Amino acid sequence: MKEMTNGLNKRQFLRLAGLSIADSILPRALGGETEPGQAKTHKVILVTFGGGVRYSETFADTGLHNIPRLAALRKDAYFFRNCVNSGVLSHFNSTASIVTGNWQRVDDFGFQPPGSATLFEYFRQQTGAGPLDAWVVATNKSFSTMGWGADGDLGAPYGANVVLPKQLLLGAVQDVVAQRKGEGIASRQNVYRQLESLLSEGYEGVGWTIFKQGRDLDSHVKKTLLRGLTDYINGPDAPSSGDELTLFLTTEIMREFSPRLMLVNFWDMDVAHWGSYSLYLGAITRTDRLCGMLWDEVQKHPQYKDVTTMLILPELGRDGDFDAANGFLNHRSGDPSCRNVWMMALGAGVHPGETERPVAHVDVCATALEILRAKAGAMAGRPLHELMI
Amino acid sequence: MAAESFKVSPTLQKLIDKGLFDRLPPTFSNYFFEQFRSWFTLFPAEQSYFERLFGLLDARPPAEVDAFFAPLRAIEQKMGVNERLWPKREFTLDQVDFLNRNPYYPQWRHEVVKIFNVLDPILDAEVERNGHARLAIEIAPADLDTSAERMWLRIEKYGTRVPLDIGDNPDEFLPLLLTGSPKSAGKATLLDQWADSHPRYDAWAVESGTPVMGLMKKGSGAVGYSYDRLQAYRERLMDEVRKLVSSEQIRGPRELSARLKQLKILANESDFASDPVLSEFVRAILLSGNGTLLLNNTFVEWASVEAIRRARPSMMAVGFGIRSKVKPFSSLLIYSDQDKVNPAPSQADVLGSYVDLEIFHQYVWQEFGKHPEYRNSTAMLFVGDGVDQMLVVAPPDFPVRPGPKPWKLADVHSAMREWMNL
Repeated sequence: MKEMTNGLNKRQFLRLAGLSIADSILPRALGGETEPGQAKTHKVILVTFGGGVRYSETFADTGLHNIPRLAALRKDAYFFRNCVNSGVLSHFNSTASIVTGNWQRVDDFGFQPPGSATLFEYFRQQTGAGPLDAWVVATNKSFSTMGWGADGDLGAPYGANVVLPKQLLLGAVQDVVAQRKGEGIASRQNVYRQLESLLSEGYEGVGWTIFKQGRDLDSHVKKTLLRGLTDYINGPDAPSSGDELTLFLTTEIMREFSPRLMLVNFWDMDVAHWGSYSLYLGAITRTDRLCGMLWDEVQKHPQYKDVTTMLILPELGRDGDFDAANGFLNHRSGDPSCRNVWMMALGAGVHPGETERPVAHVDVCATALEILRAKAGAMAGRPLHELMI
Repeated sequence: MAAESFKVSPTLQKLIDKGLFDRLPPTFSNYFFEQFRSWFTLFPAEQSYFERLFGLLDARPPAEVDAFFAPLRAIEQKMGVNERLWPKREFTLDQVDFLNRNPYYPQWRHEVVKIFNVLDPILDAEVERNGHARLAIEIAPADLDTSAERMWLRIEKYGTRVPLDIGDNPDEFLPLLLTGSPKSAGKATLLDQWADSHPRYDAWAVESGTPVMGLMKKGSGAVGYSYDRLQAYRERLMDEVRKLVSSEQIRGPRELSARLKQLKILANESDFASDPVLSEFVRAILLSGNGTLLLNNTFVEWASVEAIRRARPSMMAVGFGIRSKVKPFSSLLIYSDQDKVNPAPSQADVLGSYVDLEIFHQYVWQEFGKHPEYRNSTAMLFVGDGVDQMLVVAPPDFPVRPGPKPWKLADVHSAMREWMNL
């Protein structure tokens, strides 16, 4: 260092030292270092355990065996032990609070958009990101309005594409059942043909929104989504999970369009409402596996590796066994089991560690925007300094 | 009061006429008014609770009652509760929505809990003073295929495992336990006997199939719900829900629920259709949105928990079954009969059923513990059909406990009869 300082004035030295420190703290891509002629490409993927999951079946000692991938990834992650959903404990309002940074109190079933602007809108407006740079891949049909909020200054022109793979699958299965042909839905090919047909007819019918930029691009999107469907239907396992389809389409979208901001909302665990604990546990383990596969995809995709921050959190918990009317089946009691969950941050800008400091679902939006170098509007949430980069 | 189009008991009507409900915070009193609209579909235990609750408030000086409810009123003001949004004596789904979405909902809920934390112990003490022995038998299915040591793990610390001598014929397990004799003897079950000498709705069987109800006398006074026997009603409800969801603009589950309130069970779908209390009970259970239409054990668990909470029976048998595996794709069609929409044969999910039942044992057990009728007076026997061990959770004076040799089923039956003074 002494040798390096020779010939440098104090100001030059401090600048160099500062950069050195920044380089040791930050990953290369987030430290602002880029290849010549290449723009910085920070990316954020938000993954929600939609439907809600309790601590007791995940990161409590009793639940770790249900989430082997996330449990193994924890050593590389920053783990927020107390992530609190202080809002309305419905699916739409919970996820809308995550993407807007404000506790949402709109219609529980998606008949109203989020009441304030989403991170998709702030991101696209302020960075000039294009319409294929922000995506929501979700399950519940009510999430079709999750792409942008009711803020009049922003809205649809800056919103995210929203695809609901399970709704497409559901439409196809309903059609095959109604046709009463041959093996019906026992045949994968019957279901696939109907999926293809539905997609060709227009995905708006199943609640999707994809911003079109001319016929060619539209065709490109369709081809990409169909590849995901093909992989799903012809996969080695019997395709039964809507979340697996969500993952297949997510990875296709990543490979084809490399969006910088995505919300991936897994949902299978909401089967808990059916009242089968074993199906609920099975869905948690599947979501854990799919989260791991998504992380693997980030690692092997050059557009994502080292520049992507992945934030994984349950959108809410579920009622505790002792406090509520029917335990894990529901999520309306407001007890700690329902509100207090966790959040895991992986990837770019993340230094392994954990904190007991209470954080909130509304902090996710501000944090993601900070990572993406976009300025947040007025919101209740605050950037998480543990991840600031 | 002439505007009210429903009838309640004379005791409660007197309190309504005195204006008691108009003096209470609307988010509190309006909810109860909604309950009163279906007074004649409430169980006697519920009617009694409402009479005692409001009798207690009526007995206190008005100023004291006002002070007691002042914190709730303060929250209501912050929430924006007013005459326009909360007209007197009305409680609508919009008001439920208002509460759920209000920023002050957690504080409101906290105040309501505080109110009941004061009132319920007073009411409970009265019930406990008049308590008597009660009995619950929870039966795991014969096909569960697991060792006794792996059963009831979540609750075993609250009870004692008792070895059983189950004899040579596994088919006689339940007849011996419930009637004290082999099936061929045709003896009445404990439930029949209790129902013969006690008020309606005081003995219940809730089960997946019919192992218990198959032993009960025809025309038994005991309440009996079997998931299998409700198949015709379940299928009709699924059809109706599917039609409503697919053909009409339904704004979410709450509106759907309101629309489905009219779908009563028909006479050809059960033998209790003429009983408004029981027919409304099963309608509510099946349309609660909790998988009760779709999964046998969810029905058994939720119907049992609700029966305990609402009817407070003195004797209850709860019989679980084996759930079928969920078939690919068909699981997406939640309001469809899986066997009809997917021709692939159904398979039993034995392991899944075991996992499901372990937590349901806990939920049923803890529901009993929530209510004063059952505290320190209820013998709960957790048995597996054909399993040579049971878990007994009971007061110390219940006579069945581990002894020098396994208990014969007929002896357990006798002990239960003795416990219930039959």
